[in-house]
Amino acid sequence: MIAQRLRSAIVTAAALGLAVVLGSGVAAADETCNSPYIAKLIKGQEDYVYVWTLGVEGVGDGSDKLVTIDVHPKSKTYGKVLGSVSVGTRGEAHHMGFTDDRRFIWAGGLAEPKIYVFDIATDPARPKLVKTIADMADKSGYLGPHTYYALPGRMLVQALSNTKDKGGVTGMALYNNKGEFIAAYPMPADGGGDGYGYDLAVNPKKNILLTSSFTGYTNYMRPLGELVKDAEAMKRFGNTMVAWDLKAMKPKKILSVPGAPLEIRWSLNPKDNWAITAAALTSKLWLVKEDQGEWTAREVGTIGDPAKIPLPVDISITRDGKGLWVNTFMDGTTRYFDLSKPEAPRQTYEKVTGKQVNMISQSWDGRRLYITSSLLANWDKGGADNEQFLRAFAWNGKELKPTFEVDFAKEQLGRAHHMKLGSRALKSP
Amino acid sequence: MRLRAAVLAAWLAGAASPVLAHDVAPLPALDYEPPAPGTYTLHRIMAAPDGEVLDLDGRRQRLRTFTRERITLLGFVYTTCVDPEGCPLAYRVFDALRHAVGDMPSLRDTVRLVTLSFDPERDTPAAMRAYAGSRATDRESGVPWHFLTTRSSRALAPLLDGFGQDVRSTRAASNHPLQRELSHVLKVFLIDPAGYVREIYTSTFLHPRIVLNDIETLLREPR
Repeated sequence: MIAQRLRSAIVTAAALGLAVVLGSGVAAADETCNSPYIAKLIKGQEDYVYVWTLGVEGVGDGSDKLVTIDVHPKSKTYGKVLGSVSVGTRGEAHHMGFTDDRRFIWAGGLAEPKIYVFDIATDPARPKLVKTIADMADKSGYLGPHTYYALPGRMLVQALSNTKDKGGVTGMALYNNKGEFIAAYPMPADGGGDGYGYDLAVNPKKNILLTSSFTGYTNYMRPLGELVKDAEAMKRFGNTMVAWDLKAMKPKKILSVPGAPLEIRWSLNPKDNWAITAAALTSKLWLVKEDQGEWTAREVGTIGDPAKIPLPVDISITRDGKGLWVNTFMDGTTRYFDLSKPEAPRQTYEKVTGKQVNMISQSWDGRRLYITSSLLANWDKGGADNEQFLRAFAWNGKELKPTFEVDFAKEQLGRAHHMKLGSRALKSP
Repeated sequence: MRLRAAVLAAWLAGAASPVLAHDVAPLPALDYEPPAPGTYTLHRIMAAPDGEVLDLDGRRQRLRTFTRERITLLGFVYTTCVDPEGCPLAYRVFDALRHAVGDMPSLRDTVRLVTLSFDPERDTPAAMRAYAGSRATDRESGVPWHFLTTRSSRALAPLLDGFGQDVRSTRAASNHPLQRELSHVLKVFLIDPAGYVREIYTSTFLHPRIVLNDIETLLREPR
């Protein structure tokens, strides 16, 4: 039903000449998409997948929670839930990120300005909630912490909204690893900027920080079926990316990228100087590249049939920068693009992996993929289409083969969203 | 400004000779033009922690003695580290800075360098003295370079925790106990004269040009 309404709304908006695009709620997930300041990458077999899960009223305790799943094939509890840590409230749990020492996970919800800090080093199999940071609204005026990006000794948090009008004008809040607020950086709202935020990603060797743009609380918390009927609200989505001077934390250039550009992935190949993103509403891939000293963005590919509104959400780049996984929410499809020529990505594989799919994470070697189902509480599909799961797959370069699945509804956990990988080897006092 | 650039260029070309352990091979050029000094803000990230350390004579000192009054560049190392992107890089950058800053009268009396071992078991004061060589006693450059260690892992722990310097002990490929490796992410801390950490460098952007710009940015702050 929502899909039909969405399709109808997009067609209507297109007829009105509006650059309508629906953003999603997703961000960096996997071992190939972490901050470059995180050195402890898991380059062998991961032991755990941590899933930041939205609470659902009447399901379990109804609260947001961090769920730990055993993913080591030789373990007796392979594919099973090892435990969960509830935060005691329901605040639209969304994304999370490691601190630079990978000892803690910071996680938050889009409905509240709170950040939860979990210790995953003392016992990686049993994360522990050790701190709640509740001063983001007071200190910065921002609401809806989304991306948690490790800088040396600090965490840069990209928000989606603000506490004043709960619209899309927002910024980034900088904390030290102890959870103490340092500074706020507003997204540029003039000179071509729309003030919106979504994801951020750093290329330290180029001193560049890239940001993308989505929409504010008043849109992402509305039921999707209601939102898509509101033509004015549908205009309030981001259409820009910003290249920042990382050292100075000042905008250098505003790039026009229509249609809510979401996840940003830098190629990890040291010889490359480009990043790629997917615009959710237009179903296009965009390449951001340095060209003769100038950062430029250009459309380089199409994901599925944009007329059918597949709604690309999460993307995951391979460690060599030669391939890109793309999940599209509406048609529940996982696609692989050959990025050998980043100026001309070419789709080489696709598979329906669920009735709705959002996040996708891959192991460092690219052989294992994990997919979750939930986008936003009020945007997920209804009825039988509202599957809630983590599904694991093996990738042999030609085909995705299912390996195990955790049914988050059956397990009374909630809506499965963002994932991070864990390892026993990262245990530290 | 011209003097600074010329002085730095000379030292980046690799004019000094190695004393021990870590060499001072030329550093690569930056792949971008960093923002000019004074055009950006270095926020107070956190207060630098204090604790007991040992100097090269084995005397007990407070670390705050070495992190106040001057602008301090402090890096954790262990002397047997061989990761080229780790301790040896810090050593090369410190060495380049020692000479570059020493040749600039406006900076000479405002900066110090501190190298602190996170391997007290092997890096005794005597080991640190051998590691430092003539750099610990050099008065020509005018830039003090202090080489410090601690009595024990217990004395070191609060300093590591306070700076957020993560270290894990791992076995070297040879599995020989003396070749135990300390897995760590290189972090170098820029500390202002009041004792606040104002920048944390990692191997991806630890470069003398950036550090010098940051030092000059701090000096331009209103007092």
